[in-house]
Amino acid sequence: MRNIIFCLFGLLCSVLLSGCQQTADQGPVYKIGYMNCNSEQETRLRFAPLTRYLSEKVGVRFEMVPVDTQDFEDRFKKEEFAFTHTNSLLYLILRQDHDLQLVATEKRGQFGARTAGTIISRKDSGIRTLADLKGKRMIFGPQLAPSGYLAQYDLMLKAGIDPEMDLSYYAIPHGSFKHEKLIYAVYFGAYDVAAAPALDLEVMTREGKISADDFQIVAQSPIFPYCTFGAAKGVDPDLMKRFREALVLLTPEDTVDYNGEQVKVLKSAWVDGFEQLLDSDYDILRGMAKRANMPPYQEF
Amino acid sequence: MPVFDRHFWIVVVAGGLLGLIGVGLAVLGNPQNSGICISCFLENSAGALGLHGNQRMQYLRPELIGFVLGAVFSAAAGREFHSRGGSAPLLRFLSGVFLMIGCGVFIGCPIKLFLRLTAGDLTVLSGLAGLIVGVWFGLKGLAGGIHLGGGRQDPRGASGLWVPLFFLLLLFLLLLQPGFILFSTRGSGAQHAPLLLSLAAGLLLGGLAQRSRFCITGSVRDTFLMGRRTPLIWGLAAFILAAVGTNLAAGRFHPGFYGQPGAHLDYAWSFLGMLLVGWLSVLIGGCPFRQLIKAGEGDADAGLVVIGMLLGGGLVQAWGLAGTAAGVPLYGKVAVLVGLAFVAANSLLWRERVAEA
Amino acid sequence: MNRLLQDRFDRWHVLVLLLTTLGAAALLLTAGGGGDAAARSELNRQLEQDVAYRARIDFLQDLYRPVLDLEKSGARQQALLKLEEIGRRYPGEGYGFIIKGRILLQLDAVEEAVANYVEGVRLNGDFADRQGAFSAWNEIDQLVSKQLPSFSERARTHPDNASLKRVLNNLHYLQSRLAGGCE
Repeated sequence: MRNIIFCLFGLLCSVLLSGCQQTADQGPVYKIGYMNCNSEQETRLRFAPLTRYLSEKVGVRFEMVPVDTQDFEDRFKKEEFAFTHTNSLLYLILRQDHDLQLVATEKRGQFGARTAGTIISRKDSGIRTLADLKGKRMIFGPQLAPSGYLAQYDLMLKAGIDPEMDLSYYAIPHGSFKHEKLIYAVYFGAYDVAAAPALDLEVMTREGKISADDFQIVAQSPIFPYCTFGAAKGVDPDLMKRFREALVLLTPEDTVDYNGEQVKVLKSAWVDGFEQLLDSDYDILRGMAKRANMPPYQEF
Repeated sequence: MPVFDRHFWIVVVAGGLLGLIGVGLAVLGNPQNSGICISCFLENSAGALGLHGNQRMQYLRPELIGFVLGAVFSAAAGREFHSRGGSAPLLRFLSGVFLMIGCGVFIGCPIKLFLRLTAGDLTVLSGLAGLIVGVWFGLKGLAGGIHLGGGRQDPRGASGLWVPLFFLLLLFLLLLQPGFILFSTRGSGAQHAPLLLSLAAGLLLGGLAQRSRFCITGSVRDTFLMGRRTPLIWGLAAFILAAVGTNLAAGRFHPGFYGQPGAHLDYAWSFLGMLLVGWLSVLIGGCPFRQLIKAGEGDADAGLVVIGMLLGGGLVQAWGLAGTAAGVPLYGKVAVLVGLAFVAANSLLWRERVAEA
Repeated sequence: MNRLLQDRFDRWHVLVLLLTTLGAAALLLTAGGGGDAAARSELNRQLEQDVAYRARIDFLQDLYRPVLDLEKSGARQQALLKLEEIGRRYPGEGYGFIIKGRILLQLDAVEEAVANYVEGVRLNGDFADRQGAFSAWNEIDQLVSKQLPSFSERARTHPDNASLKRVLNNLHYLQSRLAGGCE
């Protein structure tokens, strides 16, 4: 009987002590800068649960900061945030100019942690090859979009087509949802060809917005890494390691308590998971940026 | 060292031939490293009888039929066919089910464990450890007073006939192949050595195993009890040597942990699965192979284990409990733990306790 | 024998035994195509199973033909989009994963190609068979032979990289399935 009481006492102590580990409510706050894709509101909705999850898993407080693409480098330089979530071209720029460290790469779509850029035309347009692009009207994504601008620009240069000289006209749409807009622009005939990210084509097909039979894929770039989490060079290596582990181990079933609801973290962030790539995996994108005379290798 | 009498040599020959034929049947068409695997064969046979719907695991394995009928002939010839039974029937039946669960999670019976090991599959080491620990647990249980009661002799000779007759019926079904018996056209169920050769191998090994009393867990058990004095350890040594030699000769020896056929890397569950098999086997008097042989000798208790194993083979596939190269499924893990709880509970219930003064 | 026939009770039971046994044998021998439809269908389970399998082969080949045609013509991304469309109606079909794995491999998305092959084989072991209508043994074997050494080396030089470990585990799974054995 005495032994049983002793065991029960031990069990009670261990249960009570288990609540004594450090919680995320104490210690410093680390800010994560998230690059806005479409709008600040959308960024908050997508990444707030992920940020909460990271706080719980890593055991430190994280705060999300939505940042416009154009402002990202300046604000990072001012040390407004310790961690970054950007597209892969912005990662290259921050790594080249500010020693950003690679943490993890986002997985989304059929290429996983990688993506590609395509040039599309309407199926009935007669535009089949890159050579057919000469004299045509083309619509690109934003200039810092690796799969909506850089990849296609590079594809054309490699095929001997100068986008600045050989197209009759090219434009970049305004506002949010630029990638969807340019796909619709070709679909409705406003432009002859568009620089469409392979991921957007995939998602819109899956959602039934477009059909695979509507478009001709004139050309497609090699695959390169997708959106990327980075850490400023001063971040504690142990913290970065725990941050990375929390991301890489995330599964579609993981949930977090957000606004009183259990939210699926990955689904909420429109992400399939995270991979730990090597910085050398980004060399393919570096090559594209160099050939297209784009940041961080731009020469005037 | 044991006395080099006739029985010793029968055991050595039985072990050696089991190793040789075990690899040989795989060379002749049975699945890789599964020349002889009682649990896989029972899963296949259960599928052929329609007890599960995995279309890749349906074949009435002639070897199984051969084991039982070979034991019948051998026992009859040696006047050792004695109908007996009546000891803890439901416990034995359920034990048969759990034996198959343990084997299914590990992917193979104790014979296949050694066939895999002798082909270089090092993932079985945890299963081997589990089997040894399980046998040791079983021996501790027997020493602690667990006694399922001896099977009573059945002077009218009826009950011990039914399992051999059932396997005779299976033989007819195998030869006639009526439309309600299913045969895989793909997958491991479709991989088999020529029918008559498999049947002959089964008959030969069944007869020899009946004569020699050779079985894998029995070898481990007797080694714990008698060390090198038991002939069974030499039978096991002969089995291993023959299997390694044949694998080497056939170019089937590929040592390593990765890329092994029909293997997974869930070492803890391999350990627990085989622990369950070893523990149960000692308590009910033999591993799956030995149960088939005893059923052929007229032991209705072993016959019930065999029927339980056949049902277990169906359940393991129908409920998706079996381990695969991808690992052990959740419900397979739960089933192993339930099996271990079953053995522990019955060890308590069947223990003969000395009345305290 | 005499002991079995010692009185009227014994003789009656032996008679019943003989009559029922002979009756059953006669029924089996003379039944031919007789019996009701339900019984016939039960007796032809093997046929039903084989017909269902052949129908499945034909159906899937028809379903995925546009994808295979696009792949053959080199329109790989278009083929992937077509797969997405089919996936909306038939999600989780193993054949789709195998085709996707093959196309992704052609597009150098090796990690995802491996993951798709794994998914396909897990859903249907037919793809890892050496022979058969759906056998993808050769292409999976080539994939494993080519990628396993390089990923083993990368995983060795980056021991803390969980993603490389995941790919390596997937390759080992495929390697194990290619080796055969019981499932």
